[in-house]
Amino acid sequence: MEEEEIQKAVVAYLRKKGFTNTELALQEEQNRVSFSSNSDHSVSRLENGPVRYSDGYSKLRLWAYSSLDLYKHELLRVLFPVYIHCFMDLVAGGHVHEARIFFHTFREDHESMHLRDLQKLEGILSPLHLEEIELSRSFRQNKFKIKMCEYSYDLLLQYLQKTQSFTMRGVINEHIDFEVSPGQPTLSSGDADFVTIEGRKNDLARQINQKEIHWGLLEDSLEQHLERPVSDSEKAEILIPVNSLIQKRPLDGGKQGIPVKMVKKDKLVSMVGKNVRSETSAVSVAPRVKPELTLPATLVEVEQAILEDLRSRVQLNNLALPSISFYTFINTCNRLNCSSISQDGSLVAGGFSDSSLKVVWDISTIGQLVKTSSLQGEKESAKNENFPATEERRKPYTLFHGHSGPVYSTTFSPFGEFLLSSSSDSTIRLWSTKLNTNLVCYKGHNYPVWDVQFSPVGHYFASSSHDRTARIWSMERIQPLRIMAGHLSDVDCVQWHANCNYIATGSSDKTVRLWDVQSGECVRIFIGHRSMILSLAMSPDGRYMASGDEDGTIMMWDLSSGRCVSPLVGHSSCVWTLAFSCEGTLLASGSADCTVKLWDVTASTRASRMESKSSSSNRLRLLKALPTKSTPVYTLQFSRRNLLFAAGALSKCS
Amino acid sequence: MSIVPKETIEVIAQSIGIANLSSDVALALAPDVEYRLREIMQEAIKCMRHSKRTVLTAEDVNSALSLRNVEPIYGFASGDPLRFKRAVGHKDLFYIDDRDVDFKEVIDAPLPKAPLDTAVVAHWLAIEGVQPAIPENTQVEAIVAPSENKKSENSKEDGLLVDLKLPVKHVLSRELQLYFDKITELTVTRPESILFKEALVSLAADSGIHPLVPYFSYFIADEVARSLNDLPILFALMRVVRSLLQNPHIHIEPYLHQLMPSIITCVVAKRLGSKITDNHWELRDFSANLAASVCKRYGHVYHNLQSRLTKTLINAFLDPSKALTQHYGAIEGLAALGTSVVRLLVLPNLEPYLQLLEPEMQLEKQKNEMKRKEAWRVYGALLRAAGKCLYDRLKLFPGLLSPPRHPVWRINERVATSQSNKRMSSTNLSMQQPPLKKVAADGPTGALQPIAMTANLQGAPDGFTARSSGTGVGQPSTSGQVPMKTTGGRQEKGGGSVAPKGSAVLAQAWKEDLDAGHLLASLFQSFGEGVFSFIQPVEMSFFI
Repeated sequence: MEEEEIQKAVVAYLRKKGFTNTELALQEEQNRVSFSSNSDHSVSRLENGPVRYSDGYSKLRLWAYSSLDLYKHELLRVLFPVYIHCFMDLVAGGHVHEARIFFHTFREDHESMHLRDLQKLEGILSPLHLEEIELSRSFRQNKFKIKMCEYSYDLLLQYLQKTQSFTMRGVINEHIDFEVSPGQPTLSSGDADFVTIEGRKNDLARQINQKEIHWGLLEDSLEQHLERPVSDSEKAEILIPVNSLIQKRPLDGGKQGIPVKMVKKDKLVSMVGKNVRSETSAVSVAPRVKPELTLPATLVEVEQAILEDLRSRVQLNNLALPSISFYTFINTCNRLNCSSISQDGSLVAGGFSDSSLKVVWDISTIGQLVKTSSLQGEKESAKNENFPATEERRKPYTLFHGHSGPVYSTTFSPFGEFLLSSSSDSTIRLWSTKLNTNLVCYKGHNYPVWDVQFSPVGHYFASSSHDRTARIWSMERIQPLRIMAGHLSDVDCVQWHANCNYIATGSSDKTVRLWDVQSGECVRIFIGHRSMILSLAMSPDGRYMASGDEDGTIMMWDLSSGRCVSPLVGHSSCVWTLAFSCEGTLLASGSADCTVKLWDVTASTRASRMESKSSSSNRLRLLKALPTKSTPVYTLQFSRRNLLFAAGALSKCS
Repeated sequence: MSIVPKETIEVIAQSIGIANLSSDVALALAPDVEYRLREIMQEAIKCMRHSKRTVLTAEDVNSALSLRNVEPIYGFASGDPLRFKRAVGHKDLFYIDDRDVDFKEVIDAPLPKAPLDTAVVAHWLAIEGVQPAIPENTQVEAIVAPSENKKSENSKEDGLLVDLKLPVKHVLSRELQLYFDKITELTVTRPESILFKEALVSLAADSGIHPLVPYFSYFIADEVARSLNDLPILFALMRVVRSLLQNPHIHIEPYLHQLMPSIITCVVAKRLGSKITDNHWELRDFSANLAASVCKRYGHVYHNLQSRLTKTLINAFLDPSKALTQHYGAIEGLAALGTSVVRLLVLPNLEPYLQLLEPEMQLEKQKNEMKRKEAWRVYGALLRAAGKCLYDRLKLFPGLLSPPRHPVWRINERVATSQSNKRMSSTNLSMQQPPLKKVAADGPTGALQPIAMTANLQGAPDGFTARSSGTGVGQPSTSGQVPMKTTGGRQEKGGGSVAPKGSAVLAQAWKEDLDAGHLLASLFQSFGEGVFSFIQPVEMSFFI
């Protein structure tokens, strides 16, 4: 008896100190000793091997469910990892049939939180599959990390001691890392965030996330040029795009517009003043950085145009929301895969699954379409089905042929003279919007290229592919400059950092990574999403990043710390696109649930600092939800003047 | 163990020519088949996501297969979702209905319509965060329920648990507010300006002003009640109403109950405008047409709308204590509702009413010139209404008045003319008397009027002026121009001469003809030859 107690004390000590490996070694040795002591017993145990897993698990489950209410939710968290590993152990041991029975018996418990993982694991039917499936490998190699309070941990230990269930104890020891915190159990029950995969991967992530990154904006950027003119008297020139709309209405000639303008101008000036102040306080924290890439020189007239745009930018905040111009693709027959809008909103491109690329030209043709459609508004019936394209005019778009597979992504260069498209034929093509022709075909990826993005300064672009890599290219070379490898599954989306020194990639392995463009190294891993990442956006001040996933969750990350600032929950379906407003105060998200939502960035970042009232502030952060008429939102783009452009394909189920 | 039973594997093996697959192999293959299936589906879902869809298609599966270097399965790709049929006797077995198609049928079938080409349309999803109410956007609930704390606050205040109906908050964008302010300001201050006309056009066409309708209807009701003495404003308000009614993007039905009283006020109010010179007749006509057009458009929605309107009007018409101006409005209102209303409601009351009216019109009996003028106005309105009714009838039966009888009519006319002329000179009115020949000459033009009138019934304002000036009878300022209605022998004579003629013709006519003939006769009895101006121009030309 005494010996056993000593052993227990030793085990407890080891656990407390976190010497898991030693503990394991100790246990193995103990087991060996006990095996050797009564071999016939061990034989019997081996025989009923498969049964002990399901027995042990069902007992553990029963115990966890009947435990004290206060500690229940913490104890229940243990079940999922145990369940997964019991299953995988069974499969690995060759008891495929039993594994399946076991899997289905307890599947329901975890369906609500881990459905996607379960669906993937369901297919595992042989030890070979275990190796092949990415998810199971990562489960095997890494540890689950579970936070629980001291008392829950004690309870669990007591139970494991009492029942003598070595199987369960083994599984728990091997695959779960407990993070024991003193005091009361955490309040948020049923939150799966507390079950994260720990271990090597997370160590790696932690290690990586300690690397230094310079998220400051570039030195000598145009924004700096702006500071001067804004303070000048030139701000009297401020014009608001919305004004033009109001004036377009045949009210009473020009008279109507003037008071509006006056009012807005006054307001704007005050807002500009405010914003400059707040910006300077924020900017002082972020040091300006030098570009790591040689950046292309911008033409003087282009620079002038940008400055003009910046000067006449509408200031947005949680009170002043943007105007949204929506481009609806009609009669697409569900063939539109992607769309993009140029910075100034004058060009719209759509990539189709029939490998064609359609670029709609000048905004004026769209304007005419608006007129005809508004006339048709009277004829209620004909309205949605078919806006007849236009009457006896030339085609309102240019057709680009060249790809030999569905086009998955398009992007305009910052000044709209080039267009890039990526396709399932694993190529990227560069098109000139001036010459209406294909200029270059970039071959490098081996599998479909899911996403391609021009850098904020043009010239460089990044692509991501099914081959699990992201690549950086320059327009003038047909070979990639950098290959970023490291994701464990498809790289689904890619986005440039505002200072062009980093790119972010979102992947089907549910992580977002940040890569240094110069060195090609991964500098941050963001773990937290529960499904495939579909969209990314970088805040213009370079500090934050937003990522949207398949479930409709948007997460806001602080790049410097690598932590999630706040999850923004509101969409019910895939978040296809995200966009920050030009001064970074608003985040717009477009989703398959046919809404555009506007989120208050400043509120969400502030709330995280206070670290409280997470549930109540959640609602505050959503500023506005704008439903469309059965049009999933594919693309969002803020113009330099802060007008928001959105595009989507009308998908009427007839 | 696997969802693919080994029998399936065996069947597949047989189908590709492997007859003796050992059951062990099948057993080993089955799990792998399932695994591969899942793998393909996982890739297919990725393809689906990147095509920005939420529904898996055959194409996605094919691209997943090609990702795995497997030959795609041909023949299932189509733009439409696949139509699965449930196998009889199985709960979860589906197949694609693949029916035989007769080749000849396919060839003979007419070419299908070319699919519409892809296009892009643009609209404003939001203007400064507010969604405009345009057809491209979904309907938003603009009315927001009052917040909870407000309610509790209220109940605290009065201490009683009274179910209070709090005013609902209506969210209006700044642009709309500005628009509303501008329009109302224009209506009240500058109803004559060109700007106001532009505003009316905008009200009639703008698709985004639906949220303003309650405000407009309230404004109109309020303003009409307040500025009964200000004719230009009333007129401007009625024009605003008309523009709102014209706007195809507005659902005005819920607000009609608020608008109709204002309109009717402008039809039958005792006094409209402050000065004597104010042409309130015009406003009454205009509003009457407006009311009629409302009835015509929304009569099917509100079944009692027209009945209530006519009741109000007929009450005003038949109440002798009411002012003549009210009578005029009522008659105009009824006339605007259509000839059948006139025939059913006005004509039966015509004779007694005229007897009432008559003393008012005569110089001898009514010394007040204003009153007399009003009476003449009413008379004119009655004549017009009755005449229109008659015209309508006659139009149905063009054979009624055939050329052979025209000489008779002409003679008749001439007789009447000379007689009335004589009479007029004898009455020795102080006013200058235009020769009655002019009336006769005016005949054809006057007769054209009914056509114009029916066309103008929808309420075009310009038609209004033409109408009032065109018809000889309607001239207000020169009351003498109209052939005076006499109760003397002339009329009896005229009536006497027509009636036999009429009945002679009607002997071969239908019953309706008879009615029309009677109508003509009775009208002639009441009005004299003023009625003739409503008879068709072809016939009319013979009179001169």
